Amino acid sequence: MTRRSLLAGSAGLAVGAATAAPFFLPKYDRDRRPARSRVAIVRADEYSDWLEGALISALRLFDLDVSGKSVLLKPNLVDFAPGVAVNTHPHLVSAAAECFRRLGARSVTVAEGAGHQRDTQLVLHETGFRDELVKHQIPFVDLNRDELVKVRLRANYTGLGHLWLPRTVLSHDFIVSMPKVKTHHWSGVTLSMKNMFGVVPGAKYGWPKNILHWSGIQQSILDICATLPIHFVIADAIVAMEGNGPLAGTSRPLRSIVLSDDPVAADAICARLMGFKPERIPHICEAAKFLGNASTELIDQLSGLVSRPDIPFKVVPEFEYLRTT
Amino acid sequence: MIDMALRTELKNGLIKQELCGGGWGYGLTVRQAALEPTCLSLLALRWDSSPARARGVKFLLGMQNPNGSWPAFSSDDSDGSGLTALAVTALINNGEMALQTEHGLEWLLRSKGRESHWLWRWKFETTDTHVRFDPAKFGWPWQPGTCSWVIPTALSMIALKQAFVCCKPDWVSFRIRRGTEMLLDRACPGGGWNAGNGVVYGVPLAPHLDATAIALLALGGEQRNDAIASALKWLWRTAATCSAPWSLGWSILALDAYGLPVGSLVDRLCALKDQGLLEDSATLAAVILAIDCLVQGNVFKVGS
Repeated sequence: MTRRSLLAGSAGLAVGAATAAPFFLPKYDRDRRPARSRVAIVRADEYSDWLEGALISALRLFDLDVSGKSVLLKPNLVDFAPGVAVNTHPHLVSAAAECFRRLGARSVTVAEGAGHQRDTQLVLHETGFRDELVKHQIPFVDLNRDELVKVRLRANYTGLGHLWLPRTVLSHDFIVSMPKVKTHHWSGVTLSMKNMFGVVPGAKYGWPKNILHWSGIQQSILDICATLPIHFVIADAIVAMEGNGPLAGTSRPLRSIVLSDDPVAADAICARLMGFKPERIPHICEAAKFLGNASTELIDQLSGLVSRPDIPFKVVPEFEYLRTT
Repeated sequence: MIDMALRTELKNGLIKQELCGGGWGYGLTVRQAALEPTCLSLLALRWDSSPARARGVKFLLGMQNPNGSWPAFSSDDSDGSGLTALAVTALINNGEMALQTEHGLEWLLRSKGRESHWLWRWKFETTDTHVRFDPAKFGWPWQPGTCSWVIPTALSMIALKQAFVCCKPDWVSFRIRRGTEMLLDRACPGGGWNAGNGVVYGVPLAPHLDATAIALLALGGEQRNDAIASALKWLWRTAATCSAPWSLGWSILALDAYGLPVGSLVDRLCALKDQGLLEDSATLAAVILAIDCLVQGNVFKVGS
């Protein structure tokens, strides 16, 4: 063997190793799946004062320990579109806030960093959130404009390494993701895990948070959810959205609220309620390897039944494969 | 008629919100200086003789990254923020046309949306076609390595137009021309601008007040066309019922720049003071700038 061929061979090996390494390196730091997960489905036909009573009964099934804790409710508040179910309904958010207060929470805060609309006060006003927050004396934090802390990501699907995240989110004891159940033209669905895009601050990453799109939406969901644990989910599926979500779809009543102590289980159940196969949704499928449980065998159904709709939710053509029929 | 006492009160309030370490943060409880509230505050205080203004300019100059850009907030990574243009505009309007401002301009001229690269342009023209836009028409991104968006593009065009008033080098003219084309390309079909594109999956998006206003300010001095006319019409109609100070403030600045009467909108903006909506420094500064456009001139008004 000549020195030249040895050098060429070594260089080839080095390039090969560098190219292949990302495929073999672990994508997450540890397996944090619970042995079993719990889900409750509450039937609700409309957004009314009755919600609080139904919600507290369902929450008591979980025997949550929130006494003395600071609770952060993270709704999905994107933009205002009259007549379309774009955002988590303010009545559901205020009902959840009252419930956590009744369960002994030290404080309850609503926080969101809207993804498209820079004027959060405008969105709060037009969606009816401002009146609801004032009525129930619930503090609101605009996560797009919060103080930021550099946080190392605890998974490596995007390769970003770190994100700057709002101090408000990091300083709360108990994070509740409150998504609007919707289809999404880039990620198939937007549920409790995708809802966490809203904690990524616009002041750093812009409107929308385009860096997450370039890094891969499914991958970004996994990195964010591995880094910021979601302690509980209350998903608004009373009126959901199908078609060209998250902004331009059409309303689709599901008449349900989905609660869970595991975001992966919550999203898998919501996907089934939409008539989708959760194992075909990349971020749910991958999250089920280390963040939570998607298999029905590992999910205890505390109340309600998962019934697939006769007609699955409409989706954009690229996600037609999600539908079960 | 402008309530001068209110104007003074708002300015004093803004000065009080200056952080101990320098600069301005967004909210009252936020102790971290951020680029946008700092720059808007400096623009709002540009004729003010208070020491806060001088300290703010010094702080802003101290924040600059080695590559000429500005970070989004103090302690941020040094790759550069899409709001760097706002820092340049703030420095120009505070009489700081120094070497550091020039470095900022040089960075702005290097910064461009990722779709400007032939490979991504090819992707958007051939396979990724759900968003209707012409990738050959590019502007400025929020973050390096991402696509062009309306607000960073518009703010960059304003900075370049203010920095090069009389004679523009070819590259500056080229970037302004491309930015203009990009804004016109991304306009919503019904008038105005959303965050970026106007049509996604064949569905027209709804315009946003602040994005529309800032885009219109950037297009000041350009030849009037249907996109500008319909955006102005939409803005005029929508601002009339807007009760959010940030959007209303920017709307006033844009409508004023096009010579439309904004007195009644300013009155309504002043009335919002008592609703506790002006705690955020960036919003408070935008409100002062909007009120001031009737008194001290419109800081964002630009020519061609």
